[in-house]
Amino acid sequence: MLSRRTLIVQLPAFGLAGAYAVRAFAADKTVTIGINLPFTGADAHDAQLIKEGALLAIDDANAKGGPGGYKINVMLLDDGSATAGQYDPAQAATNARKMVADDSVVAAIGPQMSGSGKAMAPILSQGNLATITPSSTNPDITNPKFAGTYMPAGKAIYFRTVTTDAFQGPNMANYMADTLKIKSVYILDDSGAYGVGIATAYEEQAKKRGINVMGHDQLDPKEADYTTILTKIKSMNPDALYYGGVGQAGVKVVKQSFDIMPKMIRAGGDGVYGAEILKGAGFPAAEGLYATIAAPDLLANPDSESFIKAFAAKYGEQPENYSITAYDAALVIIDAIENVAKSGKPVDRNSVRDAIQASQAKTLQGTVSFDQNGDITSRVVSVFQITRDPKFPDDDVLHQYKYIGVAPTTS
Amino acid sequence: MGWEAVYLQQVINGLSLGAMYALLALGFTLVYGILELINFAHFNVFMVSSFIGMMALEFFGLSGQSHILTGLALAGVMAFAFVATMLVAGLLGVAIERFALRPLRGIPGTVGMITTIGISYILFNLVLLTKGAGSFNFPNPMPRVAWTIAGATLDLREVLIWGVALVLMTGLHLFVNKTRIGKAMRATAQDSEAARMMGVDVDRVIVMAFFLGSALAGAAALIFGLYYNYTSFIIGYTAGLRAFTAAVLGGIGSVTGAMVGGIIIGLIEALGGQLIAVRWTDVIIFSILVLVLVFAPTGLMGRANPTKS
Repeated sequence: MLSRRTLIVQLPAFGLAGAYAVRAFAADKTVTIGINLPFTGADAHDAQLIKEGALLAIDDANAKGGPGGYKINVMLLDDGSATAGQYDPAQAATNARKMVADDSVVAAIGPQMSGSGKAMAPILSQGNLATITPSSTNPDITNPKFAGTYMPAGKAIYFRTVTTDAFQGPNMANYMADTLKIKSVYILDDSGAYGVGIATAYEEQAKKRGINVMGHDQLDPKEADYTTILTKIKSMNPDALYYGGVGQAGVKVVKQSFDIMPKMIRAGGDGVYGAEILKGAGFPAAEGLYATIAAPDLLANPDSESFIKAFAAKYGEQPENYSITAYDAALVIIDAIENVAKSGKPVDRNSVRDAIQASQAKTLQGTVSFDQNGDITSRVVSVFQITRDPKFPDDDVLHQYKYIGVAPTTS
Repeated sequence: MGWEAVYLQQVINGLSLGAMYALLALGFTLVYGILELINFAHFNVFMVSSFIGMMALEFFGLSGQSHILTGLALAGVMAFAFVATMLVAGLLGVAIERFALRPLRGIPGTVGMITTIGISYILFNLVLLTKGAGSFNFPNPMPRVAWTIAGATLDLREVLIWGVALVLMTGLHLFVNKTRIGKAMRATAQDSEAARMMGVDVDRVIVMAFFLGSALAGAAALIFGLYYNYTSFIIGYTAGLRAFTAAVLGGIGSVTGAMVGGIIIGLIEALGGQLIAVRWTDVIIFSILVLVLVFAPTGLMGRANPTKS
């Protein structure tokens, strides 16, 4: 069945024959990086933007002869499925096994979604294969409390170039209490690992800040109609609606909440930051929506200018912030391979994992380093608001999401 | 909003959902009534139709919700969109019958039903491959006109949905009960062999059932798109399953039953979500399906047919 199809694409520059030839003549001089993202389903466009960010770094490195002389091949895997209509944890687990089974894979980038991450982490841990996620933010995966589940072999293998929902949810609650001055909120989530996690973290902090949480309901992301729950929310008249979840349900929440309560303050996490919301919900429904990302606003960073130019020139579209965290993830892996090669140790997944753990890589978000659980040491959460700029295409994330500031960390 | 207004609002929401389910349920019931076949391809005929409806509206250069039409232009565009969508959907249904189901006719057992599941997946994946997996912003040229009734909001879109559904269902009812081909359909439903002996062209009746059922799915799909301003390759499953439940609840094979069943399911969905919690909606709806199958297998309006086992 097509929904179970898996895409293994070698980089075009190294077509299948080329890859074999390289292997035959210089068997020890190529390595593979796995990239696992949901190219099928509701988040496909954002997965594409993330993939392009990573490939930009890898192509650059290859063009310069590869880190430590190693050419990098890419193994692209799709963890979205048609049956799920979005990321599919079962497919993610299959993909993780595929990467672990291939000895040439020294590190991986992905997944985009925490639900996939939860399925992949135990398998990657057993295989001691490090992955760097540019966007999945559920804190459980790297929480030492759950090490038995997600890190059974003991070493950190799930690294992130974004911070987690342990900060993303609560910091947004702080922002909404301090800056938006809301007194009451209704919370919805999409029943997924990420959605439930961020909504629950948000709820706990909102309660601590004295915000009246009027309810917390779970949505079925495949359901088309949310007017029932939104009508119920309208009748309770909260100051704001917070949605924890990704695009599939998010598009409909944004659309129908605008139809029913056009004046309501609506906010969400990085699941509603992206092209899918702009395309699927469109204007005027998306106007005014608050969204956060679990990283600094990298696109505003002057260092990113050349990246944005190169990205737009190569792919014909504008990047989003998670294109940069993916670019950074690739830079960390490339840096790790280079360090291992320089030290004279064999470049395999064990040595690359150790080098990633010790990373001091220079990236667009500064020097990236990880704690012993794999979490990035920087913990910035940025707030955006959708404000239509008619000069740019409606689905241009870079120009339609306006950066507002950093959400305050709980002190 | 007082509690009366909330419940009135949920009844309005439920009636809109119910009108959609009823139109979709009619397709299951028409085909089942004549062939005793549960047509699972109907799920995705609905989904494909929503894309056809979207193309019909985009044909006029409409996109998103920013192009608003009024008066004659609105009526003309809407009439065109409904006619085009229903026609194409109807022909799709006829094609499915002609190429996939007719060669299997007469083979006993579940072959036909399994084939419709296969067709359903083919349609699903065709749309996935050609249109991609994202959510689409369905154009809606209707102005945002709404009335407030006792604190509840009644939108122009909702009035349109009810109006179209009412017209189509009345039309179908008259067609089945008052016309010659309608009589032939009823005769075939009762006993196709006897009908054939009486000179009824059974093939034509079956084609007509597929055409009408699919055309109504087309209307439901366009209504769905205008109501939610959204479509995606995935919408067929949930809506289709609920409409199927509505058909069974009303008594599969009964035209009036499908209409009543659809409205009831829509109201249960809206009021159940209000009274209990939305995450229990499916549990409630499908519990009803099980209870109906156990205690009243012929549904609310269905009759056990003496000529069939």
